[in-house]
Amino acid sequence: METLSAETWDTVICGTGLSQSLLALALSRSKKRILHLDANDFYGEHEAALSLQEADAWAHAHAGGDVTHQLDNKPASTNNGNEDIASDGDKFLTAPVLSGKESTLFRNAHVRKHHNAEAQGLSFPRAYSLALAPQIIYTQSKLLSQLVSSKAYRQVEFLAVGSFFVYGTTDAASGTILARIPSSREDVFSAQSIPARSKRALMKFLKFVIDYDSDEHKLVWQARADEPLSEFLIEHFKLDERLQNSTLALTLTLDGKVTVKDGLVTIHRHLTSIGLFGSGFCAVYPKWGGTSEIAQVGCRAGAVGGSTYMLDTPVSMGEADHGGNISLKLSNEVSIRTTTLISSQQTCSTTSPSISRVVAVINSPLQSLFEILAEGAPTPAVAVVAFPSGSLPNNSQSGSDVPVYAFVHSSETGECPSGQSVVYLTMQAAPQSPHVLDMALTALLQAATTTADILYKLYYEQATSSRQPLVTSQGSATVFELPSPSLGLAFDDENLVAVKEAWKIVMKDEALDDAFMKFEDREGMGDDDDDVYD
Amino acid sequence: MAPASSSEDSLPVLKILLIGPSGAGKSALLLRYCEDQFDPESTTATIGIDFKTKKLAVRGKAYKLNIFDTAGQERFRTLSTSYYRGAHGVILVYDISNKKSFASMEKWFDEARLNANPDAALYLVGTKLDKVATGGRAVSFEQGKAFAEAQGAEFCEISSKTRENVKRPFVEVVDKIVQKPQLIAGATAGSKSIDFNMGSLPSSPCSC
Repeated sequence: METLSAETWDTVICGTGLSQSLLALALSRSKKRILHLDANDFYGEHEAALSLQEADAWAHAHAGGDVTHQLDNKPASTNNGNEDIASDGDKFLTAPVLSGKESTLFRNAHVRKHHNAEAQGLSFPRAYSLALAPQIIYTQSKLLSQLVSSKAYRQVEFLAVGSFFVYGTTDAASGTILARIPSSREDVFSAQSIPARSKRALMKFLKFVIDYDSDEHKLVWQARADEPLSEFLIEHFKLDERLQNSTLALTLTLDGKVTVKDGLVTIHRHLTSIGLFGSGFCAVYPKWGGTSEIAQVGCRAGAVGGSTYMLDTPVSMGEADHGGNISLKLSNEVSIRTTTLISSQQTCSTTSPSISRVVAVINSPLQSLFEILAEGAPTPAVAVVAFPSGSLPNNSQSGSDVPVYAFVHSSETGECPSGQSVVYLTMQAAPQSPHVLDMALTALLQAATTTADILYKLYYEQATSSRQPLVTSQGSATVFELPSPSLGLAFDDENLVAVKEAWKIVMKDEALDDAFMKFEDREGMGDDDDDVYD
Repeated sequence: MAPASSSEDSLPVLKILLIGPSGAGKSALLLRYCEDQFDPESTTATIGIDFKTKKLAVRGKAYKLNIFDTAGQERFRTLSTSYYRGAHGVILVYDISNKKSFASMEKWFDEARLNANPDAALYLVGTKLDKVATGGRAVSFEQGKAFAEAQGAEFCEISSKTRENVKRPFVEVVDKIVQKPQLIAGATAGSKSIDFNMGSLPSSPCSC
């Protein structure tokens, strides 16, 4: 068996986040010699799904509030089970660790556990799988078409995202403070809570959005493309406040200031995604912890294609060698060479927006949020609840006028035991965010159930790197740094552009645009004789 | 001749995993069982095999087995938790001519228990039984048997080279699985997940 340092790798991929893992999938039929590493002892990097034990450790590692770059000089002692590792005596410069355990993207993380959590139902740590990237994936997303064309989708279970709710003033007709957003014509017609006049206004808007890209409709909105969508909704469509809130909620924008153009694009995506893969849902969510699962499946595809995988192995940059290769030093003192290095950006840009998130384990299934939306539709496993700007009492008082979004996951996601649920709350980061998110969570639980306890709660803030990949050359070798995960609540197809760019760099002149992510199934039937044993 | 595919598609599908240390002979067992092939020269890590499919009838009922190989991810112990999802049975494989291989099995049982469905059937297999003839045995049958019993697993020794016993682990693990109705409930009933074959695919993704 070859040793890690005996050859020059065609590419070394650092980190097993979604982008790097999709790259591994894209390269899985390429015959390139690939070493794929992660500093963590789990897959998924910034998009991992964590057991409670892992979440505790992760929060501890990201508890700091300062944006400091820590070098990870962890000794190699923990990497047991390694075989065939050669070590040579090359000297290395001290250099920033690539894809180290410390990243400046996450900060101020902490965990709170119910004082009597076990008695209230908290199960063993591995019964939970908390997603760092709980993004929903619109059925129109190119991510899904790439997972289908690459056949990787067979290894992922996708669940339906169901109702979108808006939290607001109590509705007289239904007596509920959570109003389900109507998402289709039939839905609008049957909604008893909407007055007839508003129904007509909403229908007019829905028709407009479906066709927003037509020349006729462009004339209406293009001159106002950068104005706030909310004003456009009032002036052009006469939507009342409640329908405005519902419409804005569908854009999933965190700053509450979506423009006409961006708003139309995202609402169009929402509406045209409904029914694409079946009735009653517009988006899907991978079972067992979101995009983390797709990352693992991408890595498995890489391994099946012959790539070598190592976890728990931080990497640092070594000196450039004479042949124009990049030298890398692994934490186990092994030095390796490669012509291409792909990693992800670990530092946030100073102008980057950031989000605050609470992940909460609830000892109630919150069943009322997971109604089946159409005949023959699958039972949804995810519900979305939007708290519009100003809908939470203290929110507007404290000067923060941004919306809060809650993604509620049922136990069908495999993220918690049955009888419980996991709530992911997100808002733009601000000093009062922890307080606002707590209020939103309390309001949600009061609206959705009579009794529920928060058994476990993880809080953190997350920033992003530059949205562009960083490409640098070292002689004939290339270092390509993918952007960090986007902060959007729905998967952003922009991430796939950088993956394809990285793929082209590794494939060089073998890169055929049409062949990207298009593979045949690998499995073959064995011989067809039936074996019968009684 | 293609048999009636509709009846074949409706067979309950059982997911069986092969795990164990590098060089234990997992891929050799898979290839011998599914395709009756054996390559004595092949010592390199397995490339290109995701899983193999094989039909098998036990107690008068036919099943479709999807048998997954580790794809080399066992080498640095980087099997992902997603590999274990939905597995009905796990076959743990060691080399009877290699003491170190046998000694690692406790860790592999721990990993299987940690990640697989708690009801999944576990089965221990000692490979390279043909080496006994040339005095190559390093782990006795009794040692293997006693260890398997302590772990609550069934046990046998096989040789992919001579075909001896190669079908037995699969037959016995399926036999164990089908006696656990709660385990196979999901193999036939439609789950709540979405079938992308049912819907139309997004045709030309927009270029905006």
